[in-house]
Amino acid sequence: MTEFEKIEYKPVSVRELLTEMKDTSELMIDLAYSAALFHSKELAEEVLELESYIDTLVYLLNMNAMLAARDAEDAEALVSVTVVANATDKISDAAADMATIVLRNIGIHPLIREAFQKVEEHLTRVKVKPSSFFVDKTVGELKLAPRIGVDVIAIRRGKKWILDPEEDEVIREGDVLIARGAPAGIEEFEEAAEGKIEKLEEE
Amino acid sequence: MTIPKKVSQEIIKKLVELKDTSELMLDLAYSALLLNSKELAEEVEQLEEHMDDLHTEFELLVLSSGFSPKESKDFLGLIRLGVVTEKIADAAAQIAEVVLRGLKPHPILKMVIEEAEETVTRVQVTENSPLVGKTLREAEIPEKTGMWVLVIRRGNKWIRPRPNTKIQAGDILIASGYAEGEEDLTKLATMQTQN
Repeated sequence: MTEFEKIEYKPVSVRELLTEMKDTSELMIDLAYSAALFHSKELAEEVLELESYIDTLVYLLNMNAMLAARDAEDAEALVSVTVVANATDKISDAAADMATIVLRNIGIHPLIREAFQKVEEHLTRVKVKPSSFFVDKTVGELKLAPRIGVDVIAIRRGKKWILDPEEDEVIREGDVLIARGAPAGIEEFEEAAEGKIEKLEEE
Repeated sequence: MTIPKKVSQEIIKKLVELKDTSELMLDLAYSALLLNSKELAEEVEQLEEHMDDLHTEFELLVLSSGFSPKESKDFLGLIRLGVVTEKIADAAAQIAEVVLRGLKPHPILKMVIEEAEETVTRVQVTENSPLVGKTLREAEIPEKTGMWVLVIRRGNKWIRPRPNTKIQAGDILIASGYAEGEEDLTKLATMQTQN
């Protein structure tokens, strides 16, 4: 039997909760697909942990939204917030289902890998070589998103996972970066991480 | 692989469409909320119907592909992945439904989606705009106007913006940013090329 965490009311801003839920649910989709694509059970475990985190947040959000409504008009306005929160919960469930496929050894058909070569958003896993100009730079400083449309969604450093790294996270040699983006950007990103190019095209 | 090449190619094609459509729907659904746009929300709704058909076709295709019992686990993985995309699409439709039911999206939603007090605008790119033929990266719209392109409508297709997406005359850009940028973007999209 799963043991559920006891939920207690805490005053948290609905806006903060929803921002966290939206961002986390979107991150989870990418992480779950990455877990499948790269056969990573560890990453799949991370997705399941995020899923239970979202479950807690949805309770907190609903409680705080209930308390915020003073009349019918408020209730009508706030219901859009709870509907969206529940949708992000559904998305996180979908990501967890994907992670479960990986954890239960259900099987990642080779066709899935082929399909992932053709989708709009590509995912990659690449190890940062000592010669890469990424080394000792912060994620924010590289400006990967505006320059080449690539987002680093996770870093594996030894046994540690850093999910959705902050702007000031320093990239170290040997880090394994998981990123997503458009195909051309991803290619450039891989070359940069492997030290094959010395700068990004748009520098 | 024991299943015919033609069938496997078709499975891949459908899976790619399922995944891309589900993610496009999510982008459109959030944009619909942000704009309080019924038009965008209806687009999500239509895509949801398309997804339902596509998903059924995909499942039938996988089930009738003639895999061997030994391969059944791998094929179950395929089926489950299809279900994941369908769930994401459902969530997107749920978000869009808020707009279609005439509930005014709470201001919090706008703040969460854009994380700022911003405005959303749509503008059609005219033939003589300096944007025509440029990729989004070359166009430097955020640098010049402070506006970010959320989606592009081309004919009756919705395109998710990428750095290397080329802008064409007639494209409708849906962008968000500070109110001051709105005018700049309209100028850029409709003005004649300078000198």
